[in-house]
Amino acid sequence: MAKLRLEITKGEEIRYISHLDYASAMERAIIRAKLPVAYSEGFNPHMKLSFASALAVGVTSQAEYIDIECKEEIDINQAVERLKAVLPMGIRIKGAAYMQGNVSALMAIVNLATYEITVPLLAEDIGIIEDSIRWFNNAESVLYTRESPKGKKEMEIKQYMAKPIAITVLEKAVRLILEIRITPTGSIKPGEVLGALVAMFDLPIDIDNLLIHRTGLYISNAGRQVSPVEL
Amino acid sequence: MINLDPAMLNRVIKPARYTGNEWNSIKKDHDKVAVTVALSLPDVYEVGMSNLGLKILYQILNNRVDTAAERVYAPWVDMEAEMRERNIPLYTLESLKPVKEFDIVGFSLQYEMSYSNVLNMLDLAGIPLFTAERDEHMPIIIGGGPCTFNAEPVADFFDCLVLGEGEEVMEDIIAAVSSWKKAGKINGRSGILRSLAQIGGVYVPSLYDVTYHEDGTVAKVLPNCPEAPLVVTKRVVKDLNTVEYATRPIVPFLDIVHDRIMLELFRGCTRGCRFCQAGVLYRPVRERRPELLLKMAKEMVDSTGYNEISLTSLSSADYSCLPDLVDSLMGELKEQGVSVSLPSLRIDSFSIDLAQKVQQVRKSGLTFAPEAGSQRMRDVINKGVTQKNLEDAVSAAFQAGWSTVKLYFMMGLPTETDEDVLGIADLAYKVLDLYKEIKGRKGAKVTVSVSCFVPKPHTPFQWFGQDLASEFERKQQLLKARLRDRNITFNWHDARTSFLEGAFARGDRRLGQVLLKAWQNGARFDGWSEYFKYDVWMDAFNTCEIDPYFYATRHRDFDEVMPWDHLSSGASKSFLQREYEQAVTEELTCDCRREHCSACGVCPGLGVEVLDWGSRA
Repeated sequence: MAKLRLEITKGEEIRYISHLDYASAMERAIIRAKLPVAYSEGFNPHMKLSFASALAVGVTSQAEYIDIECKEEIDINQAVERLKAVLPMGIRIKGAAYMQGNVSALMAIVNLATYEITVPLLAEDIGIIEDSIRWFNNAESVLYTRESPKGKKEMEIKQYMAKPIAITVLEKAVRLILEIRITPTGSIKPGEVLGALVAMFDLPIDIDNLLIHRTGLYISNAGRQVSPVEL
Repeated sequence: MINLDPAMLNRVIKPARYTGNEWNSIKKDHDKVAVTVALSLPDVYEVGMSNLGLKILYQILNNRVDTAAERVYAPWVDMEAEMRERNIPLYTLESLKPVKEFDIVGFSLQYEMSYSNVLNMLDLAGIPLFTAERDEHMPIIIGGGPCTFNAEPVADFFDCLVLGEGEEVMEDIIAAVSSWKKAGKINGRSGILRSLAQIGGVYVPSLYDVTYHEDGTVAKVLPNCPEAPLVVTKRVVKDLNTVEYATRPIVPFLDIVHDRIMLELFRGCTRGCRFCQAGVLYRPVRERRPELLLKMAKEMVDSTGYNEISLTSLSSADYSCLPDLVDSLMGELKEQGVSVSLPSLRIDSFSIDLAQKVQQVRKSGLTFAPEAGSQRMRDVINKGVTQKNLEDAVSAAFQAGWSTVKLYFMMGLPTETDEDVLGIADLAYKVLDLYKEIKGRKGAKVTVSVSCFVPKPHTPFQWFGQDLASEFERKQQLLKARLRDRNITFNWHDARTSFLEGAFARGDRRLGQVLLKAWQNGARFDGWSEYFKYDVWMDAFNTCEIDPYFYATRHRDFDEVMPWDHLSSGASKSFLQREYEQAVTEELTCDCRREHCSACGVCPGLGVEVLDWGSRA
């Protein structure tokens, strides 16, 4: 058994597919590439794959991580080349490594996600934008109500913000840099942070036209930040 | 190229329906091809993407260097609203170009209840609805699929309708359109339509005039120009082993209806069930060779990465080399984690053995289609299944470990009595009893699904008047009262939907205005119960002063001119009439594939023959 860890992207071409769609696209690519992937035992065997963190519909990423459990350790360059040849548009391989020894699940170790969000502005006045972000960054706590088909849930946002939000004002749009903690008890979605910024801090943006891009997933420990392939 | 607003895609459900870029999708530079084709099925992405015919045409057309074939499906109601609000025209998934800019738009017409979506899609595309309103700058609107054998209700909206199998005729059409374009669209719209009318299997409705008798029945359908033949006869591929197949189908991101490899074993079915339109339209039976199927299957696993192969055909269990094929498929593909599934089972123990083989351990439930509850009724429809066949099949299934059985039936078949309807209940109870006998305890679950019979053109029952919706509902209640056991689940179809389907299935050109009116008043996605607006349709019939009962529930005489008499499947009207008469007297007709010919007229008429590899071995 060998665990192949890949750093892959979810590009603009496939922005609107769901995490499940993304996972099955990888699964099918692995079959096409004929990688010696391992299957679970049982009546309904499934491919042994695991992802670091689910990515929502409408969100792109330059740093997704997947662990592929293989029956044998084939040459890593060969594995990558074979897979590259059969990946759908929008998925690129940026890094690959075999994980040695007993490796913890990606899901269990990744604890920080960084995002770059681009959204059109509804007001020209940069002062208003800067004020809104400053109030948010300085707030002790920000309560947000998450609405899902399961019901409403009150969330405190600030506990998940690893750093203050940074902004760059572009022509008629603003770019926000978010660093969000992923904790064993939960996290907050970048879209929800933006929702709170609009609802409670009057950020003048066209939130319907939000473009979210994940720039990194990290294991952050005592000030040291590494990506899962750098382990 | 259409600009797709994130705000729009962020808001609609399943936005990946509208963004393309799937594996095996093909993007070509339109400036470097002679002809561009937008292939469509007028339903939502997940349904349209599951259609085998379109997958085959996509590959065949894109294999041509001079042609670009792309896809477009019906936007779901949420997306339609967004597109209308933003003035985004209907576009294809490959190039994101407006459908209006294509040379050809092809719609696969699989069921009558999708007609309103055709109008809606043309409108969204900004293409005039009527063929008469379109000039040579507009795409040529082509229809294919089973409904074309009586697409008279949509005749005014289509430039041409293709009867039969598309593999070869589509290439002829591309060639005609390509040379017409090269010649500077010579003689305009009429030039291309007249040239298309000369291609076998192509029906250009505007080149025909229909006259009616005073009683409303059709008097004559006659060509109004020399290029149009008196009768248009379907196209049929002589040997499926020599034509291209969809070996590199598009692999969607979303979960579609048939999300697996479809391996088409053969085309046609000659069991001769008298209600079945497909059984007539796709004659004769033509099998693919087992060696070729195995090669195709391997190619498709490599090209798609799917891990399931479905053996599709009208009646897959009838494939002459099935056991060997299943063994070799499973043997060669097991290592890659690929499973094999059989979508339809014959009612016999042979099928149970096979089902057991392919399903291995998963016992998800077996589906059988006895179609009718009583032996008498099954003889009327020539189902050729006896009570004993059924009992043997179900017993074999229970012995093999299954405990869940689904049974499919129809009600409203010709000569049906209440006794026949209640026979469905008797059969369901018999299945429960058999389980108890075999297993010594209760525990079987039976699902009984009963649809409302819709008489279809080109079948022996084309003359038969459909039951009234109220009669269907009475029979449903009758059966419901009898099926009170908690181990039996009873599902039935909406009688009013079947009534509308019945009117359109055997309708004539006058229904075009009803369709237009209903669409204008909001009809779309009529096949989806949550969007089916019965009242809108009935209002449309009223406004147009057209009686739907005339089409759906009226019995026809044998000498009546049918609106589709000029459209031929190759099966003769006298064969159909003979079959109807034998139905009434409960006489069976054998399967011409293995027994003697029943003289339907297809083989001599179309110059084709039955290809059954088992019988030649």
